[in-house]
This record gives sequence, structure tokens and C-alpha cells, in this order.
Amino acid sequence: MTRPRVRRTGGGGLFWLAGLGAWLTAASALAVPPPASAVASGGLDEGVPRMEATLLTDVTQVKPGDTFRVGVRFKMHPGWHIYWKNPGDSGLASDVAWDTPGTTVEALRWPMPATLRTPDGFITTYGYEGEVLLSAQARASEQAQGVLHLSAAADVLVCEVNCLPAQVVLSRALPVGPETLGDAEHAPAFDAAWAQVPVAPEQARYTAALALDGPSLATGGTFTGTVTLTGADGKVPAVEKDFFVPERVKGLRHLALTPVEGKPGTFKLEGKTALEVPAVEPRFLGVMRLGTAASGYQSLSLDLPLAPVVKAPSGAPGVPTPVAAPVPGGAGPADASGLSLGLVLVFAFLGGLLLNLMPCVFPVLALKAYGFTRTVGEERGRVGAHALAYTGGIIGSLLALALTVLGLRAAGHGVGWGFQFQEPLFVAAVAAVLVAFSLNLFGVFNVGTDGTALVEKVDASHGLGRSVGEGVLAVVLATPCSAPLLGTAVGFALTSGAATVLLTFVLMGLGLALPFCLLVLVPGLAQRLPRPGAWMERFKQLLGFALLGTTVWLVWVMGGLTGVDGMARTLAFLAVVALGAWLYGLVQGSTGPRKLVGVLTVVALVGAGALWSLRFEEAHAQAPRVSEAQAWSDEAVATALAAGQPVFIDFTADWCLTCKFNERTVLQSDDVRAAFARHRVAFLVADWTRRDARISAKLAEFGRAGVPMYLLVSPSAPNKPEVLNELLTQDGLIDAVRRASGRVADARPL
Amino acid sequence: MKSLFSAVALSVLLPLSALAADSAQVGKPAPAFTLKDEAGKEHSLAQYKGKIVVLEWTNPGCPFVQRHYTANTMQKTASGYDASKVVWLAVDSTASNAPDKSAAWKKEKGFAFPVLQDPSGKVGKEYGARTTPHMYVIDDKGVVRYAGAIDDDARGNKTGTPTNYVKGAVDALLSGKDVPTATSEPYGCSVKYKS
Repeated sequence: MTRPRVRRTGGGGLFWLAGLGAWLTAASALAVPPPASAVASGGLDEGVPRMEATLLTDVTQVKPGDTFRVGVRFKMHPGWHIYWKNPGDSGLASDVAWDTPGTTVEALRWPMPATLRTPDGFITTYGYEGEVLLSAQARASEQAQGVLHLSAAADVLVCEVNCLPAQVVLSRALPVGPETLGDAEHAPAFDAAWAQVPVAPEQARYTAALALDGPSLATGGTFTGTVTLTGADGKVPAVEKDFFVPERVKGLRHLALTPVEGKPGTFKLEGKTALEVPAVEPRFLGVMRLGTAASGYQSLSLDLPLAPVVKAPSGAPGVPTPVAAPVPGGAGPADASGLSLGLVLVFAFLGGLLLNLMPCVFPVLALKAYGFTRTVGEERGRVGAHALAYTGGIIGSLLALALTVLGLRAAGHGVGWGFQFQEPLFVAAVAAVLVAFSLNLFGVFNVGTDGTALVEKVDASHGLGRSVGEGVLAVVLATPCSAPLLGTAVGFALTSGAATVLLTFVLMGLGLALPFCLLVLVPGLAQRLPRPGAWMERFKQLLGFALLGTTVWLVWVMGGLTGVDGMARTLAFLAVVALGAWLYGLVQGSTGPRKLVGVLTVVALVGAGALWSLRFEEAHAQAPRVSEAQAWSDEAVATALAAGQPVFIDFTADWCLTCKFNERTVLQSDDVRAAFARHRVAFLVADWTRRDARISAKLAEFGRAGVPMYLLVSPSAPNKPEVLNELLTQDGLIDAVRRASGRVADARPL
Repeated sequence: MKSLFSAVALSVLLPLSALAADSAQVGKPAPAFTLKDEAGKEHSLAQYKGKIVVLEWTNPGCPFVQRHYTANTMQKTASGYDASKVVWLAVDSTASNAPDKSAAWKKEKGFAFPVLQDPSGKVGKEYGARTTPHMYVIDDKGVVRYAGAIDDDARGNKTGTPTNYVKGAVDALLSGKDVPTATSEPYGCSVKYKS
């Protein structure tokens, strides 16, 4: 398709001009036409070439080791165009390949392209009409001698309505000499072309940032966001139509920016994702031309992080819902965190196991230790039955919880782990159970069938029912603590099918029950425990105080839910419960009508007390209790990130002991606070003590169903928050903070 | 800041039709059509239900199409399948095309599949065909399973054998497997729609 065109140069001037080169020390001002080998035309259209290409340099002579510029100038017939590196809807990217022994040539620099549309607007392409110089920086080697041979193979598609592929090979020799001499005729062409090559924002004293609406992109979907440009002087020029041209990005099908009215420098981003997850996370790549024909132009090249692409669920892609609709047919698909059901079940079991070590389960664990020293004296069969009863109690109550969750979900409520502690009545009931239990341990009354038993007896109530009750209690107290792994497992379960939910909860229960069962059932372990004796009575009473301590915590939770009045009401109710327990203890030993009257009195008393006292009103939202913290919101996060601050988000609740433990021991420690101050970390608190759909949704986004959750967002990766471990350590947190802000230091300014 | 966020939130609620329409989407039912071929015979997508249908947007005047017909890419791919299972239909949405031009070209290149006449560009635009060639593979249930280029050799200078995406898709569908590459960037001349 090529047809070298020999240009006749005027006169035989070339011969003596070449000899003159050595005499010249300043930049040559003599116009030297390119040699015939450096010019070719292509795109033959019924014999008429529609494009002429010329190989140019901005020097006539180069000194070894010096840099110069080399490029191919394409001249198109009026109405014809060639394409940019992303041709757009059709066409073919222009391509220049170099063959330059003794010279290294850098990447091609593409001037800002024009946006070309078919008359009906259906097909949009990007390219160049008229004339364009695609050029690059080159460097002659230190060892260069004589002449450097420069050769370029250009492969372009030349289109008007029809398209003509053109492949041309161009070459020329560049003399090597003691000085580098500029080419006065062609250097300005390079200057003009380079002035139109988009530069990184910071080179033009702008900072660019991208805020995506959402944490990730779903395949085959659309996404939106905002790109903001800030000038060093606070100004951003206006833009004209077609100011933005996207690059072709693997994993994306469409990228477009539209200026936001009245806000120079703010652009609305719209994009579409491809159907497949790309191998690398896509970035926002494109070029933007600021300014107008009147003011002159400045082009920027944008390269901003987007977010990972995740496989969209088979349903509608896009926003993750807090709780997915129940999946028919049992086990649901793995959620976005890519967990398989088997792995989740393992997590659930391990989580249940770890739950025994969490701070809020401690009283139950103490009770277990007590109950179990009691059972050691019994024969194996009984012990096994107790273990079974305890496990049954745990699993039974967990299943009840799971069914409640499913019921609520079916009714369209988003629920999470520990949700029951957002219900004041539930909290009051748990507190009442604890008070009654502690009074029982103090010996105020006895539980069980043996009414004639005396208080002095170590424990009259070692019925299986008690073990079941202990199992239930263990679950009730354990729920607010999302142990590590448990949050993931429960989060997964709560968004899966009914069968998955039930299975997960069963395995969690098995994990929770395992330590006790092991202690009880492994003969070797039983021998090591202290023998029963009078000390047990005191130990039992001591545990009563542990339960009262737990009650104090619950009353405080109540304060968070219902305010000071609610706390007072709760305490009044607990006093009534205690009175009822005492009365019951009085009548317990009697028989016949007297006992019946007594029991009825107790029931009436407690019932009346409950009706009278348990009327709660929502407390006003309080200020977060962690110093230097502010309430979490997406706006607060964005504001802090825009100011270049890392953001730490503490998803917490008053009834979550793990959260409180972390706050006291880690978040409020001097070292951590100093680190937060040093790295200008914005500390945001998302308080889930009371129901909050926004927080539930955010937890679900990260595959969690409960608190605690700790997110650390770095301004250099605003869409990739780091999820920290649920059991915080000072060192780990300080390291993470350092990473989050350190990444800013070595990242490009956004 | 707050107003910016509400603006963004609002924009999410905007109808997505504001984005460029991609009509024939992989995984979605293919738009129905009825077109006459160069011999005046009608073809509708519905009549080929139960078969795999390959649509090839074409234009004999386009160098990319010419390259593939000279190299027999299209002819070889089309004739490699049992006609009772796979139907190959070329579609010409060029505004200036006429049935006799298609017939002459068929004769010159010696292929048997019909060239559907779409000079109004209606079907082309419904499918979102942008280039010649632009390929679509539709499964036996009428769902688009592949959309994009014929192969991964836009310049026609690849060393070794190019990956033929259409062949990959049809082979996969015939053997009941997942299509290995479901989308690719089409390359070629723009479709010369009537404007």
C-alpha cells in the first residue's frame, strides 16, 4: 500500500550544506527538507493517497549521549482522520514501531485527540484530523559515531467514510557530531505537539481525586462517582464539549465524565463494567482538556484508582443489600467474600469455640466451671447426660435465635448479630434472669423439683434442666460478642438460605459447647479438679457476684438504649424481681395452698412490676464516648479523605463487650491516641447500640452481621478500606495506621 | 460537600438510558428481527430457535472485512459446523448497500450463507453493531452468548494463529460448556449507517 514519493529538492544545495554542518556551533537555522526515505504516503483511495507520513527529528545533528525528539508527522486529506491509542467504538489504534540501533526511544506521546462522531451520533471514535505529530523522546548512545539510523514503521487506519489501512516504513540518518544542533524548522512542530500532550495533574499544579459511589464494581453493571480537580490557586478552567476521552481499560466498557453545573472542577463519572472480572483491578484512565478556544487549552492525563471488580450475583448487579432475600432450596450461594459453605461452617465452629474466651462469656464460663465441679462426683452416665443437656440448651437457643432471624428477615427487617440487644425488653429480661440466678446462687431460693432440699446443701438443683438452662444462658450472654471469624460466618449465614443459617448456628453451638463437654467427658481432666467440699458453697456465692457484675453492664446498655429514666426503670424492675425471688424462697418449703398462693403472689408481683416499670422511650443519641471521635457518616469519611486524612471507623455498640474491651485497652491507650494524632487520623464512631439501617448495611457490605468491625481507610485508596481484626492490639493498630498514612506519602498526590 | 453527595445520590437514580445503549447484551435475549437476504428470502431470529445463530456485521467495502474474506476466516468458520445446528447470517447495515452488490460479492468470494439486507440500519442499531466485522453468537434459546470481534488479531499481523472467539463460543455451546471469552472489543471499520 506504500508508494514512496520522491520529493525534488531545489538546486543541489544539499551537497555543500552537509559540509557546512561542522562550521555551525549555534542551532542551525537552515531548513533541511527531510530525505526522500523519510516521507511516504498511504491510504490509497482510487489512486489518491489520503495520508502522508514524514519521519522528523528536532535536531540536525546529535552529540553522543544527548537527548532529542523523533516523531512521525501524519498529514491527512481534508475530512480524513487516523485514530488515537483508544480508537473508540470502531477503527484501529495508530501504531508507530521504532527500529533505531544506537538510539533508545521512549513511549509515544499522544497529543489530545478529537472526538469524532458519525452524523447520527451512533458511533463515537477518537483520533486526529488534519495533521498530527506522534513523537517520542530519544537518546543517542554514548558510543554513537558517524550517523544514527532511525527507522519507523507506522501502521494506521485512515478513514473518512470508508477506511484505508496504511502501513508505511520511514527512515533517515541523523549525523553524530561534537554538538547537538537544533532543527529550526521542525523543533517548533515538536514544541507545538508536546504542548498538546496531556500531562499528569500535578505537573500542571492540579490535584485530582475520584470518589466512587460504592466499595466495589459489579461485573456487567454500571457505576457512578465524582471526579474532582483542584487547582493550586483554587481555580479550575471551564471545559468545552468533548473535553474528556477515556482510555480503553480492561474490565470496563464505558467511562464518561460530565461537568457538574456551577462547580468548575467537579465532574460526574458514569461507567459500565465488562462481564468478566479482569486480571488486574481497573483504574480510571483518560485524558481531559481544560479551557476553551478563547482561553487556550491545557490537557491532563488522569490515572486514578477505582475499585476491585467483583462477580455480580446472578441477580441484579450493583448495591449490596443488607440482607438478601432467602434463597430457596437451602444453602445459598457464597457471598461476595467468596466463602464456600464448608469454610463458613468451619469458621462458625471455630468462632463458637473462641466465644468461650470472649469477655462477655466469662460469667457463663465461671458458672460452667462451677456446675462442672458439681458434676464431677457423679457417675459417667450422668455426666454425659449433663453434657448433652448443656449442648442441647445451647443449640436449642441458637436455633430459636436463627428462627427469629429468619422470621424477621422474612418480614423484611435487616437484622444482625446481637440485634436482640437493641431491644430494651430483651435486655431487661436478661438482666432479670441474671439477678434471679445470682439470688439463687446466694441461696435465697432453690430451683428444681426437690422442694425439701435445704439451703446448706451444696446444691440441691443438679437436675438436667439446670444444665439446659446454663446452655441457654451461655448463648444469651454470648450473642453480643462477635468473636473473630464468627462475624464472617454469621454475616454469611444471615444472607444465605434458611438451611445454611440453621446449619451455621448449630455448628457455632457445638463450638461453644465443646470446651465444657471436653472437661466433663474426658476422664483425665475430671481428676485434676478440686474435690467438692465446703469451699464450693462460697465459690457459688462468688459467682453470684459475677452475675451481678454482668447485670451492671446490662443496666448500662439499657442506659444507652433508653437513657437515665430507662436505667432507673430497669433497676426498679430488678428490685421487684429480687423481691419475688425472696418471696418464692419463703414459700418454697411449704406445701399445698400456701405455696400456691405464694407462687401466684410472686408471679403477680413480678408481672405488675414489669408492666409498671418497663415502659421505655428512646434516649436521644448521645455524643460518642471515645474522645476526639465524631459520628460516622459517608460525608464525614469523604471530607476527611479529601483533606488527606486516614479514616478509622469504629463500628461499636454499648452491649458489645468486645467493642468496649477494645475501646478501653487499645483505642483509648496513650500510644494509639498519639499515633492517631501524629498521622492525623479522623476517628469516626458508628454506634449500633440502637438499630441503624445505615450501619447494618455497611456491616453487610463487608460480609459482617455484627459489631465490632474496624475499618481503616487510606486517602490513597479511598475505595479499599482495610478491615482490621476484631481483637485489636495496640501495635497492630499503630502499624495499620502507619500503613494507611504511609501509603499516602509514597503514593502520587491524588 | 453535602450537596455534592446528594447530587451524586440523585444521579444514581437517573435512568441508565442516559448511558450509551448496548442493545445486544451477553446473557440477555437477543433482539428479534426479520430481514430479507440478497435473494429476497426472509429470515427471522425466531425461526432459528433451537439452533445456534452467528450474526456477522459485514461490508464488502471495508478493508477489515476484505482481509478476513481473503484469508477465508469467515467462510472457514461458517462451513466448519453442521448446518442443522449452527446458522451463520451475515448482516449488511451499510446505507448504500443493495441486494445485487451482496449477490456479486457472494459470488466473488464463494460462500453460501445469506447476507441480510439492513440498509435502514434498524437491526444493526438494535444490536449495537459498531464495526465491520462485529460478531454475535446467540444460543439455541435466543440468548446472546458472545459479542465482539471475530478474533484477537486487529492488525492482521499476529505471529502464530489468532484466537477465533466466535469458533470458541460456538464450540463451547455445542459441547454444553461455558463460553471461554464472552465479550471482546470489536475492531474494524465503523458501520456505515444511514444518517
